[in-house]
Amino acid sequence: MDRKWRFFLALFPVWSVFLGLALSGAMLLFLDLNPLDVYGRMVAFAFRDMYNFADIFAKAAPLILTGLAFGFAFRAFLFNIGAQGQFYIGCLATVSCALYLDALPGFILLPLCFAASALAGGAWGALIGYAKARFNANEFLISLMSTYVAVAIMNYLIRGPLIESKGEYPQTDVIAPHAIIPKLIPHTRLHWGFLLALLVAALAYFVLWKTTLGFQIRAVGMNRESARYAGIREKRVFVIVFLISGAFAGLAGFMEVNGVQHMLVQGFNPAIGAEGIGIAILGNAHPVGIVFAAILFGALKVGGNMVVQTSPVPSSIIGIMEGFVMLSVILSFYLRRRIVTALEKKKLRRD
Amino acid sequence: MENGASAAESRNVVELSGITKYFTGVIANDRVSLEVRKGEVLALLGENGAGKSTLMKILYGMYQPDEGEIRVDGRKVAIRSPQDAMDLGIGMIHQHFTLVPVHTVVENVLLGAGKGPKARMSVDEASKEIAETGEAYGLEVDPDALIEQLPVGMQQRVEILKALFRGARILIMDEPTAVLTPQNTKRLFDFIKDFTKEGNSVVFITHKLQEVFEIADRIVVLRNGKVAGELPRDDASEKVLARMMVGREMEEIGGRSAGVRSPRKKVLEVSGLKVRGSRGHWAVDGLDLDIAAGEILGIAGVSGNGQEELAEAICGLREVAEGNIMLEGESIPGRDAAEIIEAGVGYIPSDRHREGLVLDMSVEENLILKRFASPVFSNKGVLKEKEIRGYSKRVIEDYSIKTYSPTERVRDLSGGNQQKVVIAREMDIARSLLVAVQPTRGLDLGAADYVHRVLLHARSEGKAILLVSTELSEILSLSDRIGVIYRGKILRFFDEPATADIEEIGLVMMGVTGNGS
Repeated sequence: MDRKWRFFLALFPVWSVFLGLALSGAMLLFLDLNPLDVYGRMVAFAFRDMYNFADIFAKAAPLILTGLAFGFAFRAFLFNIGAQGQFYIGCLATVSCALYLDALPGFILLPLCFAASALAGGAWGALIGYAKARFNANEFLISLMSTYVAVAIMNYLIRGPLIESKGEYPQTDVIAPHAIIPKLIPHTRLHWGFLLALLVAALAYFVLWKTTLGFQIRAVGMNRESARYAGIREKRVFVIVFLISGAFAGLAGFMEVNGVQHMLVQGFNPAIGAEGIGIAILGNAHPVGIVFAAILFGALKVGGNMVVQTSPVPSSIIGIMEGFVMLSVILSFYLRRRIVTALEKKKLRRD
Repeated sequence: MENGASAAESRNVVELSGITKYFTGVIANDRVSLEVRKGEVLALLGENGAGKSTLMKILYGMYQPDEGEIRVDGRKVAIRSPQDAMDLGIGMIHQHFTLVPVHTVVENVLLGAGKGPKARMSVDEASKEIAETGEAYGLEVDPDALIEQLPVGMQQRVEILKALFRGARILIMDEPTAVLTPQNTKRLFDFIKDFTKEGNSVVFITHKLQEVFEIADRIVVLRNGKVAGELPRDDASEKVLARMMVGREMEEIGGRSAGVRSPRKKVLEVSGLKVRGSRGHWAVDGLDLDIAAGEILGIAGVSGNGQEELAEAICGLREVAEGNIMLEGESIPGRDAAEIIEAGVGYIPSDRHREGLVLDMSVEENLILKRFASPVFSNKGVLKEKEIRGYSKRVIEDYSIKTYSPTERVRDLSGGNQQKVVIAREMDIARSLLVAVQPTRGLDLGAADYVHRVLLHARSEGKAILLVSTELSEILSLSDRIGVIYRGKILRFFDEPATADIEEIGLVMMGVTGNGS
């Protein structure tokens, strides 16, 4: 393939991000707003000061994890639509740890919260995998429905045992200062959890491409029948994949509760699971791609929020931008395949 | 049937000119031009992958050509769907039938009428017409029978009746004899002769030389997507055609030495085996066989008589309901696929794309697909990349697999090289037993010959080999012993393949046994 083309194709996700932004810009035109002006201010806001810039990465941290929750399972061609529920279960586990075990010192309490969120999210996810392995249930539906159950459990706990001392709002007490993830950059919201999320992404990469477990996961994902013929126990793979996937989403709860919110409010962050799906698609279900996609979404959120707060731009524009970016990336995969095919034809004709 | 060149022009019912079709990475058809004449049987001969099926799927409207034009009765036409093709009187009998198993014959025929003029015909009228057409052409079939209860040969008849009902005058048949017994093949040929005598035309796709001589009036040979030659049957000889097909002379299966069979050492013993098929029926129904070390046992039979289920049961992929399987003296039912691989059983499945390979994985990943957990290739769950690469390079060399790198996707390899990847892997696994189901399916002659030599080599190494094939010639030339399978049982063993009577084997394949069972 021509080098020129190869370069162009490699940067395809980048082009499609720009296309998505251009399409969202068109929506701004309907509101008599100048898209260039709005985007200009978004960028200016995002990079205006360290607080906003750091916030991009603070927002990206949990998105990396919910992105991995979908992307990791997708490598086994399993659809984990339930990251939202696994995230809430992770939130509940970590906030319970932080509230009830606050007598413990920070260096024990924080790892405990970390482990509790991962284990709880993982166990919740593994249930989906088990239902698929044992009863041949459709994991798409089960994971989707499990989110509703998780929400109901959260509502019950936050209105009941976990409700704040004042008993006024459906939220927990603020967790103890030593249960809060330390800041990476002082006077911003960016905490060490971001680096932890990068580590988890690296771990996901290692598992998928360097271990026998990842080998089995990818084989099952690319050809379930051949994998079965090769003696791979697919049912075991289903359970393990959902366990790991759920643990990723549960960890996102640790990031949000211990890193940013410092308490658990009923029904907060209700789109983090869905955004994870978009991010995983944008990142081609590859850990590296997911990290970049999550940072992009973080930037859209930070810049978008600032623009919305300081001008008549409606807040739904952030959702529209995210939507158009995802849509154009999905379409770009199709287009890229067409271009590759056309190039190969051209090459064959020359031969 | 033969006419002078000038007169023939006007008798062309179909003309394809300059047809080119690209798929990702390959040219399936490269400026192919040919014509089909009125009242003739045109054999489209070529190895698998030569572009025969693609070309005919273009004529039938299933694919759109990238270049070139089609004329029917001298008029330029655009065939955008099978519906268009049928409206022009073109019908196709696919290799894999397109019938609804739980519907009756007449329902399927009416379903196939699409939007045609006969689509609104009543079931009774249609049944009557089916019966009449069937009688006229010797294709009798009960219009009210359920498809799933009909044997394969009958199902093919239904396909043909479906096309005739729709008014086909040009019938494309894609390897129609692949699923037929010798007797059914003869009946099919009788039909083709009757049908063309009435001025209809048949395009007969095949890669079997002897069929061409039996049935064709004219032969077009395709090779690598191009027309390699065109000639009337009377000018053709096996040698000429074989050379056109492969670009070189065909080789006899070589290297077959005298048996090293040691009857004392039974590697595999199957007794009273019963296995359920996917539809819940007894696919294997009380089957006995045994294979000694250094022996090839060939299982002949029409496909769908329990061969696949037998192979899968041995390999731990299908539950054994009754009976026993002993591998080197140990009972293996209840063990799963991984444990049986561990026990030294290699398996070459019939569908390498679906069952044998992960096409989007690399060559090296496919080579270790069944052995990634062995201490040779991994340590505490972490893959040993250096060892895997070294092993792959060695195997690629040993089996001369044509690939530019061990990291190339298997999808991008040719069919023959893909099969080599499967075989190389399974040969290393098969310490005691190799189960090979249709190991040369879809391969060209050169690649098939290679597979045969590998099987014979494995035999000389003292491995026991269970060879399942629907190609009788393959079974006959490779096997030390032949078992004929019919409805899940081995009806008869032939101990001397060299002297076995093909007609007799064909009869047993149809369930006819000499001793009246």
